[in-house]
Amino acid sequence: MTLRIFRPRPIIALVFALCAVSVSAQEKTGSKQGFSLRPGTARIILMRPNIRVGAQSTGGMFEPNADWTAQARENLGAELSKIEQRLGNVVVTYDDQSPTEGPVARQYNSLFSSVAESAMEYQFFKGNRLPTKKHSDGFEWGLGPGLAQLQSLQGADYLLFVTTRDAYGSTGRKILQVAGLLAGVAVTSGEHRGYAGLVDLRTGELVWLNADMQMGGDVRTPEGAAKRVSELLKGFPGRSESN
Amino acid sequence: MRNTIAAAATIALLIGGAAEAGTPSPATAPVSATLPPYAPAYEPRSVDERGLWMETDEYERRLKDSPLLVKDVELQNYVRKVLCETVGDNRCGSVRIYILEVPALNASMTPNGALTVWTGLLLRAQNEAQLGAVLGHEFAHFELRHTLSAFKQRRKATDLLAWAQVLGGLTNTDTTGLQLSLIGSMFRYSRDEEKQADLLALKYLAASPYPSSEFARIWQNMMAEEDATAAGRKVKSKHRYTAGFFDDHPTDLDRANYLASAAQAMGDSGDPQVAGHYAAIGHILPRLLADQTKLNDFGGSDYILNEMAALHGWTPDLLFARGQMYTLRGNPRDLLTASQFYRQALNGGLNDPVAHRELGLTLLKSGSAGEAKPEFEKYLQLVPGASDARVIKTLLSE
Repeated sequence: MTLRIFRPRPIIALVFALCAVSVSAQEKTGSKQGFSLRPGTARIILMRPNIRVGAQSTGGMFEPNADWTAQARENLGAELSKIEQRLGNVVVTYDDQSPTEGPVARQYNSLFSSVAESAMEYQFFKGNRLPTKKHSDGFEWGLGPGLAQLQSLQGADYLLFVTTRDAYGSTGRKILQVAGLLAGVAVTSGEHRGYAGLVDLRTGELVWLNADMQMGGDVRTPEGAAKRVSELLKGFPGRSESN
Repeated sequence: MRNTIAAAATIALLIGGAAEAGTPSPATAPVSATLPPYAPAYEPRSVDERGLWMETDEYERRLKDSPLLVKDVELQNYVRKVLCETVGDNRCGSVRIYILEVPALNASMTPNGALTVWTGLLLRAQNEAQLGAVLGHEFAHFELRHTLSAFKQRRKATDLLAWAQVLGGLTNTDTTGLQLSLIGSMFRYSRDEEKQADLLALKYLAASPYPSSEFARIWQNMMAEEDATAAGRKVKSKHRYTAGFFDDHPTDLDRANYLASAAQAMGDSGDPQVAGHYAAIGHILPRLLADQTKLNDFGGSDYILNEMAALHGWTPDLLFARGQMYTLRGNPRDLLTASQFYRQALNGGLNDPVAHRELGLTLLKSGSAGEAKPEFEKYLQLVPGASDARVIKTLLSE
């Protein structure tokens, strides 16, 4: 975060690393066993997508870019508004600016991110599974039953969350990558990760999660955003693949 | 041959770059009382700055919905008033103020002007001037656009760091020393900017109705509190004059010293408004004190209470908080001491039914069941529907 604080905080974690995490050998999709969503049976609420677009500096720092993020928000938004046809179910966008339940909804949004990232870390990455996740291929993650209490979500069956983060490698980073090849230092350029998840409103269970650490589609263009949304919704349970 | 040229090029590039990354440390100009010109309604233009503002816009959206946010308009207005008194009405207009319930002394500022204040600062500030000093320091970061300059410096340093690693590998040169100095340059830069913000805040204070000498007092009090905490925990306390390699702020001692001497050079005076501050936080004081006592920091809490009592006397609120401190520590002797403080608080006119319950419990635990009974009865009579009413009734029937 880019904050200026008055007094130093007690703990400062420092990582000066060149390389990004290894992304191979990882599963990408998980869904609750036996879960399927037939077209025309459910009402889905789309939460405000988390979108961050920027560049990657030579040293690997994320450089936020306001224009690119605005373009991505517009392009992904336009594409997501069309997913109703793709999913075959009613999809409405949630307004999280409401003063009454907005704060709670935002906390659930954060909770979803934590749970989804835990699922990616401790379930999708087989070598890193927690003891309780080791011996079964079941998918048991959730946000708790409290969601059903929210008045603003009444009448809906599922919540859809979408997160993308793109850092386009700068020219300097690309030159460094080439030099790194010669020097035998592994340098990755660019970072394009995203995930989407579906939560059952009645039970709070995470019924489907799709994550990809190397996504395709340039979100700054409408065509790229269409490709990105297709990749985000890959493996959506019960989706008619023809669309 | 090729190797030699590459190595020479590496070193030339790195030395040039390192010098560049090291030099633009903000000048700690001699203190003069004139404030720099200020442009209101500033809009960022560069890609970097607009990116940072966008990020902090998102952060502010989350901040607005934080469960820690103290939604107290009166208190917000008070903090704004102190900010405006300190930095001037022409400057303070664009700042949004968020008060978070965190029982420690701190404040933060985003590059787009969202100022966050922790409740621990409101409790510890002894007067409006001390609160104004912290707000002024944060505002100085905003006015001087420090987040942007630090971002650029960090980017330059990490760029060079990456090249040092790759080119070092390519030419088989050991660049450890250079890498260390680049890492160090980021922290040194941050410390320099903190000092710059401190000194600009001092100028705001000198130009305001508040005296600038109060700024150094914050650090003196913080060090005394840290000593008290350490003593309470039976550990050694130490204050360093020189900042360490990984410190992103100057040390407390350093700040206390240079602020005191700079304030002396300013030679301004004014009313720090002790009573004004106490009156403004009065309605939320029991909550602030409860947050502090729950930290289980006997030495630190004791120091804060004593400092407040020295200024305002032992008010019922302070006495109750003192009782809670002893109850929490919970040695047999502490319970007796606690019951005395609760009694004094109630006799002094404390209007909180919980004090009767706490008094009853400490009396019961120290073996005076007979004395405890009327206190429990009083508690139940004042709050018949209390969530713990049934437990208290059980205690009464024993």
